[in-house]
Amino acid sequence: MDFGFLPEEEKFRKEVREFFETDGAVEGMKKETDSGQGFGPYTWEVLGKLGSRGWLTPTWPKEYGGLELPDIYRYIVMEEMDYFTHLAALVGAGMAGHVILHRGSEEQKQEYLPKISKGKIEFALGYTEPEAGSDLANLAIKAEDKGDYFLMNGQKMFNTASHYAHYHWLGAKTEIVKPKHRGISLFIVDFKTPGITIHTMRTMAGLLTNEVFYDNVKVPKECLVGEKNRGFYYIMEALDYERIYTISRIKSELDQLVEYAKSSGKGKDPIIRQKLAQLNIEAEIARLSALRIPWMLDRKISPSSEAAMLKVVFAELDQRIVNTGLQILGPLGQLREDSKWAQLKGEFEYRYTRSLQDLITRGTCEVMKNIVATRGLGLPAR
Amino acid sequence: MDFSFNEEQEMLQKSASEFLENECSKKFVRAMEEDEKGYSPELWKRMAELGWMGLVLPEEYGGMGSNFLTLVSLLEEVGRVLLPGPFVPTVVYSSLPILYYGTEEQKKEFLPKIADGNLIMTLALTEPNERLDEAGVETIATRSNNDYIVSGTKLFVPDAHIADWLLCVAKVDEGITLFLVDAKSPGVNCTLLKTLASDKQCEVILDKVKVPARNILGKPGIGWEVVSRIREWGAVAQCALILGCLQQVLEMTVDYTKERVQFDRPIGSFQAVQHQCVDMLMDIDGVKFTTHEAAWKLSQELPATMEVSMAKAWASDASRKVCLLGHKIQGGVAIMEDHDMQLYFRRAKAMELTFGDGDFHREIVAKELGLR
Repeated sequence: MDFGFLPEEEKFRKEVREFFETDGAVEGMKKETDSGQGFGPYTWEVLGKLGSRGWLTPTWPKEYGGLELPDIYRYIVMEEMDYFTHLAALVGAGMAGHVILHRGSEEQKQEYLPKISKGKIEFALGYTEPEAGSDLANLAIKAEDKGDYFLMNGQKMFNTASHYAHYHWLGAKTEIVKPKHRGISLFIVDFKTPGITIHTMRTMAGLLTNEVFYDNVKVPKECLVGEKNRGFYYIMEALDYERIYTISRIKSELDQLVEYAKSSGKGKDPIIRQKLAQLNIEAEIARLSALRIPWMLDRKISPSSEAAMLKVVFAELDQRIVNTGLQILGPLGQLREDSKWAQLKGEFEYRYTRSLQDLITRGTCEVMKNIVATRGLGLPAR
Repeated sequence: MDFSFNEEQEMLQKSASEFLENECSKKFVRAMEEDEKGYSPELWKRMAELGWMGLVLPEEYGGMGSNFLTLVSLLEEVGRVLLPGPFVPTVVYSSLPILYYGTEEQKKEFLPKIADGNLIMTLALTEPNERLDEAGVETIATRSNNDYIVSGTKLFVPDAHIADWLLCVAKVDEGITLFLVDAKSPGVNCTLLKTLASDKQCEVILDKVKVPARNILGKPGIGWEVVSRIREWGAVAQCALILGCLQQVLEMTVDYTKERVQFDRPIGSFQAVQHQCVDMLMDIDGVKFTTHEAAWKLSQELPATMEVSMAKAWASDASRKVCLLGHKIQGGVAIMEDHDMQLYFRRAKAMELTFGDGDFHREIVAKELGLR
């Protein structure tokens, strides 16, 4: 048992942190992330610099731009990136790329992996539809096999990143079978393909997400990932990677709250002391829950139950931090960043609406608990 | 980063689990609740032969030379079966302070006997004011030639009725001081308290008890430092017991939900029940993470005040919450006296209260965060 980092891991973290502390584009990237508009020029600049060092995909083979390092290094980069830029995850480097690496054809690996690794392209997750939210297997977008291409028709919903990503990481129905999940395949679709329309929507927190419409879109055969009708399994595999969270951003919010309680004198109140202590205990548990995932991955143990638990731990802690923050700030907490009386630059006003998304996206807490119950505890599904 | 026990610790856990499964049945646990002594001297002897009493003591004092984390791995198994008796008071609250703060003579005198299973010891700290801080120590020791005369009342002293020696916290001119008190000394009056967990906690009245000055642990005035250290070891030991206890509760509960059929299906297939089981698992994971981190820090001799209090705060609340869910899910049968669940439910409360509950430790965390 060891709750510290190895000297070489510390050294690596120091290098990464130094980059984020000194690079001129990092602050701009953070503003872009917080704006909810998606990747802008600063983000692409920072991703390019991280990519040139191999830091976006440290675990990948060198031939595809990786450094062949353990997963803990990936965690370290993400932790620092989350803290300094508020960008918590990348679809290409964090999820799709792993599936391409393990399931993709050699041509797909050559085509996409080096570009992902260098921070030149991004993917948008294409899973959710109006009738396929928690019940992902119910997705209906149709991909008809026409010999040398698939003809696609249908609609996706809440596909965040579609308005700035280059490729759609698309789950589509290739066969009508029971159980439904055995008729789903996974595709890489270039968003420039004729017939795709993207309609952008805004959340109450100003975050942009999208509906994506497919109208007789011809997708070349070589865009199929892995085997036909095995897509649902690949999506599940990718979800395990996707649920790697770091808590460094929300911990920094908690730290701000503790500092506020000290400087305002509110920290003398025993009720507030109890609440802040409890949140710090929960944050430590969340940090260790997060670290358990790369530790398991490095030992080739599938973390599907643990990753699902982490999502719940993270999202619920996030809720408690913003709620406790607004309780402690009192009426002042409702003031927006540009108000004269705003506290902590209106951070908690913003996070109060922004954090709801984390409860829902990439699997609700309730769906996660279903996964833990069946896969982790072995309880019967029916 | 490594979340697993090493090979030595895993082997110890496995052999301890097999041993305790045979030797510490629920029938035995129930019998010990009724038994005047509350432990089995024969079992105690066998535990000593396995090296458990001297696990963390250096070889020169008859021990095995393992570290605190290894002891924690054993305590998880001890907690899992609710082993009754003075193991934790003797090993954690007494042998560790003697090892770290005792004089060479005291170490030579007491530690080998503890390691051999020939000496039972306990800590007399808490008083009727139930405070866990320095101001709570009202027991007074006054110097009289080469002796001290100790007077005061101690409460919730675990297993004092069978202890050979007491490690007694008292005030002298130099400050808080710990005394090694022979339990057979005239003026030591011990009464068993009737408790929720039917564990053996005692009232110990010290009525002008004469203690030789050489029985001061280490030297006068260092007592609060020693107590602070004992509180950390003790709190983490309780967390480890809670961890084992709760793991067993979850196992029992999950097994039950797979077998119990209502509405023509196992109740474990209902999401309302599944999510409660997951809540239990998540609470237990929190106990595991924080307990192991605190124990690791203590065995590395790193400052661990924050981590220890995080662990005990979380474990204290989890012990109550997990047992309550275990009861809710297992329904009416589990509140029956002949069901094992009630043993865990009652014992969990005792562990929650020992060395500070959630509120107490959150206040320490708040202080460590710099909130004042």
